[in-house]
Amino acid sequence: MSKVTSAVAAWGVAGIIYVATHQFDTQFAMYWAFGLAFGFVLQRARFCFASAFRDLFLLGHGRNMKGVLVGLAVGSLGFGLVMSRQVPMTFLGILPPSANVLPLGIHTALGGVLFGVGMVLAGGCVSGSIYRMGEGYVASWVAFAGLMGGLLASAYTWNWWWDRFISTAPRYWLPSWLGHPGAIAATLAALAAVYVGVLVMEHRAGMVLPRTPPSHGPSDSVGAELRSVVRTVFVDGWAIIPAGAVLGGLNVLLFTAQEPWGFTGEVSRWSLAAASLVNLPAPMLSGVADLPGCVFVPSDGSILNHMLFLVVGMWFGSFAGALGAGEFKVRLPRRRARYTQSLGGGVLMGYGSGLAMGCTIGAFFSGIPSLALNGWVFAVFLGGGAWIGTQLIQRIP
Amino acid sequence: MADTLDVRGEICPYPMMRTVTALKKLSKEDRSLEVVTDHAPALDTIPTQAARLGFRTDIEEAGGSEWRLVLTRIDGEEGA
Repeated sequence: MSKVTSAVAAWGVAGIIYVATHQFDTQFAMYWAFGLAFGFVLQRARFCFASAFRDLFLLGHGRNMKGVLVGLAVGSLGFGLVMSRQVPMTFLGILPPSANVLPLGIHTALGGVLFGVGMVLAGGCVSGSIYRMGEGYVASWVAFAGLMGGLLASAYTWNWWWDRFISTAPRYWLPSWLGHPGAIAATLAALAAVYVGVLVMEHRAGMVLPRTPPSHGPSDSVGAELRSVVRTVFVDGWAIIPAGAVLGGLNVLLFTAQEPWGFTGEVSRWSLAAASLVNLPAPMLSGVADLPGCVFVPSDGSILNHMLFLVVGMWFGSFAGALGAGEFKVRLPRRRARYTQSLGGGVLMGYGSGLAMGCTIGAFFSGIPSLALNGWVFAVFLGGGAWIGTQLIQRIP
Repeated sequence: MADTLDVRGEICPYPMMRTVTALKKLSKEDRSLEVVTDHAPALDTIPTQAARLGFRTDIEEAGGSEWRLVLTRIDGEEGA
């Protein structure tokens, strides 16, 4: 089957699932569509949070980090606007209901470090693993299994962390101190400063060769022009800056419609349900019902949930994108160490995202746009963990 | 005949790291190294690292989501 036929078939299936779920529950259909869009863009741009950090340390290569920063800037503007309508009076101490303003404490820092080490070991964070699963990377399936295990371990110990640290931890929202315009301006300025830092690191490491996209020749007709557009979107890899902007924009749309982008809460629901099935249920988790972000979601016995459609949609969107570009292939690592590495990295990511109440998406890519201090603290320790991870992988042949 | 390094199946960032190790081990008489990969992100990272070590990269699509990269040593007169 040619790549065009297989991609059209995959998008056809995606469309049928959309129509079918729309009859059943419109929210399921909406999350399915968002999942497809996120997965497709991640795959087309090879948008990888693990390499955003790792490649800076390992190579002085800032491609992915630049995309992440642009996405954060777009997200911060959009989230800021939405939140300014939700909570006009910032001095009353009210927090926006669904933004990821999370308890900030030692658990945020430890979660960031564990997650950072884990994502570099596993060769991708949670979103990275999901889109690589769709591309056929078997190691990413192993990492995802590790993630589920790590989330479960985190759930078993959650109440310990809750009693000692999380229940009393403050939640800092920048607009409470700076007002809406001030918080947005400060966030954008900080992101711009990091962007300059990335340029400095790149410059010190020497030249970076950008891959020139293939030229499609002169377009002498509307048909040729359209074919060129289709190739750019579906076949050639996307440039990182527009991809970051689109992901940031999609996150704003999802936040406007419902809640910020994030999914480790949903994955924890699968872990908790699986543990209950084999009679090893996690204890009652204190406080989780009152927290936003990707905090644990205790299983209620049902299978279908709108968030399930987001996660499976991301996987399927990447799969369809990879088929269309001829990039789908079942890839089996030949070195046995890679499976251990992916599993271990997954477990660390799971435990870390449980503590931090989110992964690189929920706690970072949605945390900073929530104009929440926890997003920045998580980011700093995530970077520290990624640096440790980068030292580790250079010692694993 | 150029040596071939097969890094198919490897996860990020090993295709690039193993290529760099192989390039550093290459003796002065070896003009080029061929790398086979199925990892698309390596098409960005390998050319940059190779250039920093003084090699030019030519990428060939091998089909089935695989690529053949030919890394050729750049001679002194072409610039280091």
